[in-house]
Parts: sequence; C-alpha cells; structure tokens
Amino acid sequence: MPRMIFVNLPVADLAQSKAFYEALGFTNEPRFSDETGAAMVWSDTIFVMILTHEKWKGFTDRPIAPRGSSEVSLALAMDSREAVDAMIEAGAAHGGTADVNPVQDHGFMYGRDLLDPDGHVWSPFWMDPAIASGEQPMPEVAAG
Amino acid sequence: MPQMIFVNLPVTDLDKSKAFYEAVGAANNPAFTDDTAACMVVKEGSIHVMLLTHEKWATFTSKKIPDAHTTAQVLICVSADSREAVDAQVDKAVKAGGKADPTPTQDFGGFMYGRSFEDPDGHIWEVMWMDPTAIPADAPAEAEA
Repeated sequence: MPRMIFVNLPVADLAQSKAFYEALGFTNEPRFSDETGAAMVWSDTIFVMILTHEKWKGFTDRPIAPRGSSEVSLALAMDSREAVDAMIEAGAAHGGTADVNPVQDHGFMYGRDLLDPDGHVWSPFWMDPAIASGEQPMPEVAAG
Repeated sequence: MPQMIFVNLPVTDLDKSKAFYEAVGAANNPAFTDDTAACMVVKEGSIHVMLLTHEKWATFTSKKIPDAHTTAQVLICVSADSREAVDAQVDKAVKAGGKADPTPTQDFGGFMYGRSFEDPDGHIWEVMWMDPTAIPADAPAEAEA
C-alpha cells in the first residue's frame, strides 16, 4: 500500500467545513464520514480529516491551539498560478479568509495563503516544474 | 505536476529537527534546504515536510506559534505497512529524542493499529496500519486517526 497522509483538523462546524473543502477541490468520501468527522480526499495518498471538537478530544487531550496562532501551514502544489488564485477565491467565497499572509510571488514560484473557517492555514502554491523537479537549481528565495 | 503536499512546521533547532526526521525515515532533499529551512521527504513526489526556523516562519506569517507541547492544532497521520512498522517508527522516534504515544494508542485488533510520537517541538505524528483486506475494494483506507 502506498504511504498515505491524513491531516486531521478540528473544526467547529462540520457541515460548513465540508462545504469549504469541497469548494477547494477536495472530494468527500461518504464511507468515512459521519456526524463527527468527514474524510476529504485530495489524491490517492493525500487526505484531510475534519473532525468535530468532540471527536477531536477523543484523540488528544491537548487543548486546541488558539485561533490566530499557527502551528502548521499546509501547502498544496497546484498546476498554475491561475489554479492558486482559483483555490483562494473559492475558499474566500465559502467561509474562508484570503491572503492572511503576504503573497509569495517570486516569478518561478507563486503562493497565497488562505484560512479555513476555523483558522487553519492552507498555502496553495505553484512552482516552475523545471525547478520543482530539480532540473534547474533553486533561485535565491527558499521554499515555504 | 503530481499532487503534492508540503506540511510546513516551525522548529526551534533546525539541525536537531532535521536529524530527528531523518531518524524516523524522512530523507532530506538538499535542493530545498538551507540554514533556515529543510525539506524532508516522507514520500517522494507526494508527501513532504518543510521544517522552518522560527525566523523563517515569521517571514511567512505574523501569526504566533503556539506551544505544540501543550496545545494541538493538527494531528498528522501517516500510514505504515504493518503493526510492526508502526512500532518500529515510534521506537525510532524515541531513540532520536522524540516522545512516544502523546495520544492514545488506537488498537482495533486485527484490522487497525495506530500509535503516535511527538517531534522535538511537540508536533504530533500518528502512524497507522490498517489491514488492506479489511477495506472494501472500492474504498480508500480508513482515514480517521
């Protein structure tokens, strides 16, 4: 079985978050969704699990970090600058907040940041395939 | 471009964290590594972790970094091929200075087994095995972690 990643995020309103992630381009997997959590599929190896706070508490007794703080940002590679913009706009139209951090525009690389309805940071980005593949060296700006 | 995710995490000691992630099986990609950040490959072409110094992190966001030892904003779960591989990965993490089992072990007998470890900054990783034959042929793996 290929190695898979499941990014588990606590959410306050499961239905709203489900709609948000669908707007971003994730597909809901109903067989692994119920009233306490929803599996959102990005690819055959990349999944996001959105979990109600109640469900979340079953997995960790650490309190959820305060909104406005940021333990992680989740960056998804997109096929073009336009695809980055489209994801940001779709998120903003579905309860998210666009451009919470500075836009990263370095020519060979373009990224924007989006908050989901609970304040989790997503960073869709595009990178010149020649650089992403290592064919050409990374210019001076480090990836983030 | 293949579908890729980069999990960006702030770390207090880049060298220490880089060594930790290498010890748990993530290879460093030097092309995207410098003295402010390190790209660690969990699955080539698909799953990456970017470790960023707090200074570097602050160039991307003005949001405060919460103490991941005492709060959690995310639980990152990766799959493993067997129960033994789950235990082995947690053991490696402990030997490398991480803590074992910050979250309860998920043991559902014959079909699913999950444990966790925390990295030196407190970020929690879960490692999960699930019996592929327990999953309906047309369904993806159990995602709840």
